Amino acid sequence: MSDWLSIVPLLLVATSGLFIMLADAFSKEKAELALVTAVSLGTAGLVAVGLLASGSALPPLPEVLGSYLAVDELSLFFDFVICLGGALSALVAGGYLREHELERGELYVLIVLATFGAMVLARSTDLLTLFLGLETMSLSVYAMIAFRRTSARAVEGAMKYFLLGSFAAAILLFGGALLYAATGHTDFAGIGAKIGSGEVEPVLVLVGMLMVLAGLAFKVGAVPFHMWTPDAYEGAMTPVTGFMSVAVKAAAFAVFVRILVVALPGEEVASMTSGWPPVLIFLSVLSMVYGNVAAVAQKSVKRMLAYSSIAHAGYILLGLAAASVVGEPAISGVLFYLLAYTVSNILAFGSLVMIGSRGKEAVDYDDLAGVGRRHPYVALPFIIGVLSLMGFPPTAGFFGKYYVFNAAVQAGGGFVWLAVIGLLASAVGAYYYLRVVVVMLMKSPAEGQVVAVPMKSGYVASALAMSGAAVMVFGLLPSWALDLAISAAQKLIG
Amino acid sequence: MELGLGAYLTFASVLFGIGAVGFLVRRNALVQLMSIELMLNSVNVVLVAANRFHPDNHAGQVFAFFVIAVAAAEAAVGLAILIALYRLNRNIETDRAHVLKH
Repeated sequence: MSDWLSIVPLLLVATSGLFIMLADAFSKEKAELALVTAVSLGTAGLVAVGLLASGSALPPLPEVLGSYLAVDELSLFFDFVICLGGALSALVAGGYLREHELERGELYVLIVLATFGAMVLARSTDLLTLFLGLETMSLSVYAMIAFRRTSARAVEGAMKYFLLGSFAAAILLFGGALLYAATGHTDFAGIGAKIGSGEVEPVLVLVGMLMVLAGLAFKVGAVPFHMWTPDAYEGAMTPVTGFMSVAVKAAAFAVFVRILVVALPGEEVASMTSGWPPVLIFLSVLSMVYGNVAAVAQKSVKRMLAYSSIAHAGYILLGLAAASVVGEPAISGVLFYLLAYTVSNILAFGSLVMIGSRGKEAVDYDDLAGVGRRHPYVALPFIIGVLSLMGFPPTAGFFGKYYVFNAAVQAGGGFVWLAVIGLLASAVGAYYYLRVVVVMLMKSPAEGQVVAVPMKSGYVASALAMSGAAVMVFGLLPSWALDLAISAAQKLIG
Repeated sequence: MELGLGAYLTFASVLFGIGAVGFLVRRNALVQLMSIELMLNSVNVVLVAANRFHPDNHAGQVFAFFVIAVAAAEAAVGLAILIALYRLNRNIETDRAHVLKH
């Protein structure tokens, strides 16, 4: 029985998904389902972090699963990040659905199933589990975006994300099939060993690797594979946008890390002259620059946050590229960044939900004018979240950026210049993040403007309190979370 | 006559290319969905053919079954989204869906 210990969080999420689906059929009070969802995802996250912090040796999985799912600290770390994002999104969704009279239980089932898919993806050590996790997550997310099916925006966002997402999945899969054709292995370790042995057709490996990287870059929303991001983020309901920006992104980066370190190590594929580092640098620079510049021009705060998430993907890709040189510090920086990004983003999107109410949703800058003076208690969490996304000390986001850029500087050479580009791009970011704060605190709403009225919801308020506390705690005392990230990264590199 | 792996890969790449071009050129969401299915089928060709040249296990063939099953699930979700879109717009041309521009 103890063989299963390391995937207990995964099993908890799977069973609670089935239970919530059943409970939805019999329950009249849908808001309770939000609580059940949040509690079960939260429990799974706490179990993961407990296993991680206890530092005990993890027993290997039974042989039938052994080569498909990873048993390591990295997966537990991502279990924690993904479950945290899912649980907080479910709480926010509970308040949102009640306020906007959209109460249907499917959304909670979809949140749990998407979380499950994301955890499988983050844990996958084989192209097969990668594909299944990716599709379980993506199909649930497509349905979550289209949840408000009478809204033209929601359905259009879902349609664009679905078509482009399936296209990208097909590209990733073709790349994976080519890697299988070249190496005869579908497990990452086998692929990596075979490539290292040099008995492979280099063209097949190169094309396969590039196609896999393109598919993953699509999922994390890196330029030039970002076209869906603003539309899907704007079309989806705000709690769903929050979920997409944290859980989906974290899982995609988890498998990114694992593929690069396990399946594509060594001189042939991981050097600056031939291999993935230059590809990642290209994606990273484009994402940092384009994401930040395009975010400045937006009228909608949700769209602005969507472009800013593209920029954040760029910073994280910079860390991944630096991992080819310095290894552990870069990977632990990326892990900490994803944790900080999760709590800050939930805080920003959750307070955006809280600021609006039925018929008076807050989406544009104009909706937010003067909210800070009229309702300071609702504006405060938004401001903290945005400052953390900006990387303002002493929030969690500051240390996330610090560790990633620091790793790039340690990597030396051209990476120092990349860190400089990243810092300049963040300075552009500071402009639009601070602009929201200024609009909230100093601007008055125009004559005749519909003024956003904050909703009252214990669920949303508690989600904000938890994520706000996390942003401050990880900012003031980053060492605890950083130690977990460092041990996970060390175990991965071995 | 025994065909080498290269022949299968060439065939699969052509199939994949037709699917990708179809996806990028056509504006009818149903045709785009069909193009994606074509791309997934080219993946299956690679997997099954490669398995013949790596005969230690049946990983490739099993993988192909999973791809088929997931493609069916993907089509179900996709068609549901397209029906919702049709109800709102009375067409499923992707370039006519443009509420989401700033």
